[in-house]
Amino acid sequence: MKQSLSNEASEAIERGDRLKTAGELDEAICAYLVAAAHVYPVPASLCLSLARAYIRTNNVAEAIRWASAVVDAGDDFSSWLSAASLIENATNWKTEKPRRRSRVAIAGSFTTLQLRAILPLAGFRHGIEFEVWETPYGQYRQELLNPQSALYQSRPDFIILAVHEGELALPFLSNDSETEVTQELDRWTNLWEAVARHSKARVIQFNFALPAEAPLGHLALRLPGSRYAMTQAVNTALGMAAQTRVDIIDCERLSALVGKERWCDPRYWHLSKQAVALSALPLLARHITAVIAANLGLSRKVLVLDLDNTLWGGVIGEDGVNGIKLGGDQAGEAFVAFHEYILHLKDKGVILAICSKNNEADAKEPFERHRETRLKLDDFAVFVANWEPKADNLVRIAETLGVGLDAIVFVDDNPVECAAIRRALPQVDVIALPSDPAYYTRTLSQYLMFEMATFTDEDAHRTEQYRARTLARRLEKSVSSLDELWESLEMTATIEPFNEFNLPRVAQLIGKTNQFNLTTRRHGQAQIEAFVQNPDCIHFSLRLRDRFADHGLVALMIVLQQDSVFEIDTWLMSCRVIGRTVEDAMLAHLCAHAAQRGATTIRGLYIPTAKNQLVKDVYSKFGFSIAKEVAGEQIWHYDFAARGSIENRFIKIADQGEINGRPSRAVRAGV
Amino acid sequence: MEDLHGQLEQVFRDVFNNDAFTLKDEMTSRDVPGWDSIAHMNLMFTIESRFGIQFVGNELADFKDIGELKRYLARTVE
Repeated sequence: MKQSLSNEASEAIERGDRLKTAGELDEAICAYLVAAAHVYPVPASLCLSLARAYIRTNNVAEAIRWASAVVDAGDDFSSWLSAASLIENATNWKTEKPRRRSRVAIAGSFTTLQLRAILPLAGFRHGIEFEVWETPYGQYRQELLNPQSALYQSRPDFIILAVHEGELALPFLSNDSETEVTQELDRWTNLWEAVARHSKARVIQFNFALPAEAPLGHLALRLPGSRYAMTQAVNTALGMAAQTRVDIIDCERLSALVGKERWCDPRYWHLSKQAVALSALPLLARHITAVIAANLGLSRKVLVLDLDNTLWGGVIGEDGVNGIKLGGDQAGEAFVAFHEYILHLKDKGVILAICSKNNEADAKEPFERHRETRLKLDDFAVFVANWEPKADNLVRIAETLGVGLDAIVFVDDNPVECAAIRRALPQVDVIALPSDPAYYTRTLSQYLMFEMATFTDEDAHRTEQYRARTLARRLEKSVSSLDELWESLEMTATIEPFNEFNLPRVAQLIGKTNQFNLTTRRHGQAQIEAFVQNPDCIHFSLRLRDRFADHGLVALMIVLQQDSVFEIDTWLMSCRVIGRTVEDAMLAHLCAHAAQRGATTIRGLYIPTAKNQLVKDVYSKFGFSIAKEVAGEQIWHYDFAARGSIENRFIKIADQGEINGRPSRAVRAGV
Repeated sequence: MEDLHGQLEQVFRDVFNNDAFTLKDEMTSRDVPGWDSIAHMNLMFTIESRFGIQFVGNELADFKDIGELKRYLARTVE
């Protein structure tokens, strides 16, 4: 990313360099900060100068902040490596509070030392602290197949199968391409199965980047038995085989993106077996991080958009609905294309919102009346158009949707607004649009944190659900009591045990629910499947519908029975249905199980985290009494034998599923 | 040559994260702590991208000392 620095910035940098050489570190930092205030993104060299100066003044927190800002400055490998080693060497960096820690093992077929070195930097930028381990060169297969291997002893959360095209056992030409492709696929899925047997780690598999060199030329595609065509077939088959159990890093796409001749530099391959050129590693590290973040539930959920010169050209308040640029000519078509890309993001589950400085009626008019608009009013879960500071409005949007600011991405064409949000709300990711609208779509597509680990029905209908939440919030003001509100919502729940259909969504909720989550235990897929197999485990999920929307699968409970005691291992609920008495319905359902299975005590656990204060008192509200408290962790007991069932007054139960193997509709909703 | 020395010194400072690093013509990889085969790769890569050159063949791997590297750069860099 080449940037032209303003004169002020260049002068400040030179002044800083002189001061640093003279040993005047505090003054040097001041000069560098002046330069940094004049440019965004701050160039990597300036980020590093600041980070090194802060290290020398023992300000580790600022040093790390500036080192990780290198990620936003572009994909220059040398700068990334310097920043990564600077963070690694900063002594007390572990005192920083990460959003999440994660252990990652790289099992690679090529030299992965540099990838290992820079991956933590990409993670750091998004609040994930990676502890990275790698298999010895050329040993990945042995390490994966041996249950006692050092790889498994490192107890990874993720295993990255970082392999390259040279690892494929496909011949140059084959008479039996189908068998070759099937055998090749098996070689990889066998490794996935070995991982599933020996660990709880999730596999992240690189697919195979076709090389730049193509001896068969265009003919290759017409020969099913060519290595070229078979490699494509293997890539497709890997994706289909992976489904929800394994993640794929689409190296074939990434290599095309950077250019295949840049993706692999043969000099570095021959000298030290770098199958991916060093210059491409930052991009690769960012994509890996996005995929891991998606698995950890740290992807961004909400896209908040500006209007004037963002979703159309011109200013609606001045130009009017017939004067703005949207469709029609080259400039207008760029905005239509941007609409269409945004709709694709919505289709995969990203929630859309508007935050604009405009009169509300003006702002809405193009979506209602313009012939070329692809986005319509009901595509947005929240629509805020007023004259207040955008930072305040973003906070309000987050509250309305019940999400944290760290779930929000803000897009604006105005660099001043972007800078203001970065300053006021550092948790929000800000995308500043380029000056030419033709590049809007590409700029948005280069943002990676909308990556998703799975795709469920709930994702496809998310905006509808959040819109309903906004409507319900309005309704709240028109009913006089909570009881009336709950009655008026006409809620119906479907409760059923975990099964093959709901398991992906169950795993997704366990991975990412923060607020209404009593124990925040992030069980992996394998552990969840073990619960399902365990006859002493009661597990159920709940879907909620109301007069506004089907909210989908939004809550679940995992309970283990030991003799006459039920112990609640996991109890969580999506934030979009908090405050709807869903907890009453779940405990009532659990009581029905207790009656069937002869349990007399229900034991609940509360493990406090930074985000689950909300549920601190949930057990006491239902008549549990506190049995023990150690270091903030509380154990609560409910005397089922004496107190009887917990009541569910407001949610109609459509289907109780099976209790202890017998279909039962014995538990009525309401009283 | 003076300017080249300064630029090269900056590369070493960046790669080894050491602002106080002083580059000398008679230095070899044995004289610099942390200069292993991986650091060498990073060094060569950074020199290529900062000076806009491409090493050919074994040049990527072998230089007797900093003086020889500097003479090579002086010849190659336009």
